[in-house]
Amino acid sequence: MTREIDFDEILARYRSDPYKYIDIVAPHTGTVSYLVEKGNEVEAPGGEWKHIPGTSLFKINRENNPKTVNAPINGIISEIRGECEGRFVEAGEKLLTIRHPLKKKDIIESILKEVLYLFPAPESAKFFFSLDIQSRFDKKGTRGVTIRPGEEVFTMSLMKRDTPVTYTGVEGIIHSIYFKPGVSIQQGEPLVGVCPVDKLGLIQKVITRVKAEWDAM
Amino acid sequence: MTRHLSMPRLQAYLKDTELPARSVLWPVEEAQKIIRYGSFVGSLVEHHRTLDRAMIHARAHIEGCERSNVSVTSGTVILADRLTGSKGRFTRTWYAPQGGLWGCMIYISTLLPRYRILVPLAVGIACCEAVREQGAEQAVIRWINDVLIDSRKVGGFLAENFTGHRSREDYCLLGFGININNSRFPDELDQIATSLKNRLGREVDIEQFTYCFLAKLCWNLGLLYYREQRELEAGNSDSADKHPLVARWLELSDSVGRPVVFGFDVRENPQYRATVTGITNDGGLLLKLDDGAEVVEHSGEIRYVKG
Repeated sequence: MTREIDFDEILARYRSDPYKYIDIVAPHTGTVSYLVEKGNEVEAPGGEWKHIPGTSLFKINRENNPKTVNAPINGIISEIRGECEGRFVEAGEKLLTIRHPLKKKDIIESILKEVLYLFPAPESAKFFFSLDIQSRFDKKGTRGVTIRPGEEVFTMSLMKRDTPVTYTGVEGIIHSIYFKPGVSIQQGEPLVGVCPVDKLGLIQKVITRVKAEWDAM
Repeated sequence: MTRHLSMPRLQAYLKDTELPARSVLWPVEEAQKIIRYGSFVGSLVEHHRTLDRAMIHARAHIEGCERSNVSVTSGTVILADRLTGSKGRFTRTWYAPQGGLWGCMIYISTLLPRYRILVPLAVGIACCEAVREQGAEQAVIRWINDVLIDSRKVGGFLAENFTGHRSREDYCLLGFGININNSRFPDELDQIATSLKNRLGREVDIEQFTYCFLAKLCWNLGLLYYREQRELEAGNSDSADKHPLVARWLELSDSVGRPVVFGFDVRENPQYRATVTGITNDGGLLLKLDDGAEVVEHSGEIRYVKG
């Protein structure tokens, strides 16, 4: 947040390539067998609870324990590492890339994620705001709550074990909330985007400009 | 009353009662090893006539130790004859008058995260085993760790983790509430709660029950360390074998096969209906939805419904 934001550069980047590229990696060691080809369209998880898996991308087999890996997002297979077919790979090795088309809302979110301080989920779990923070939301409304480092901002719930999560980022207003109570968040995914009070005007400017320029395209 | 509870008597109970019972299914040396792993349980027992909430008292105790740069004794058990401000999860009521086993254990977690995740299962299993041992053979566990007799709740548990400000220790508070000789409940709980006395038609010796519960907690938490040590030694952290704690949970639970409604806070916000099909090795609940899709939930709660 300390650096100046070059709107023209950010907008030009999204204008020339309005896609997000998601690398899909091997979740663990094993032998890979692809179920898609380059150029294939893939679907994201669906259903009311996102419980219907996305398109099957590949199988990875370790010690006769095959596991199918599905697309986490919709898009087109833009790159596939064909040399991995039938080969033993290490955990974390990139296997393919999905090119996901961005909508205006996604682009605003992506830009905001570049300019806000993002506080990540410390573990894969379900999260909710601490009682104190929730009551401040109830009183002051969205974008009315300021948080400081050292404050207990969230409660992390996993297997009926609740763990308070202490905020460690910059002091500022909770501008964006990236989780819903009762929905699991993966470790490292952002929970909130925080904006220092003096930068709020700037953030609003980003949103207004993206909306205006994207519609004009 | 639990005011005369002591560590030496718990040790004696473990040696004379728990170890022989466990040695029926486990080789004695392995059973001894498991009990040694869990032997921090009840290292210190604190008794109070009345407390507001045992969890709050435990936090204050830890804060005091942290401020004075004194180590907290892992396994400290805080008990009270009655609690005046007890509560369940979210904003739910927990009624804790004289006659029940109310308290909390301070436990300094040294388990790796993938083993620590099963701690809430261990406390439910310990309670169910202890309740069955009193004669309530029909006691069962509802995922994650509610203990029910004839569909009414007899035991409930809370687990809270936090990191010490100074020591950076990973503290886990295991709160427990077990209805033993308390036989009357407020209107809002009357149809969903019960006690051992109500079900057995007799009073239960609370002190004896507490030794039994703590001994079983010692065993089940010990199993987590035992399994962790064995897997790390074998270099196999993703074993396909059923974790012994998960296997025991399956023996004691009636959740598998039941149609349920699931929700993070199921009373206030039920999310969907499904049928329980199993439990994963890390305690996750396997559910099959009406459209055939399968989901795994690691957080939330279920209520049984008619199919």
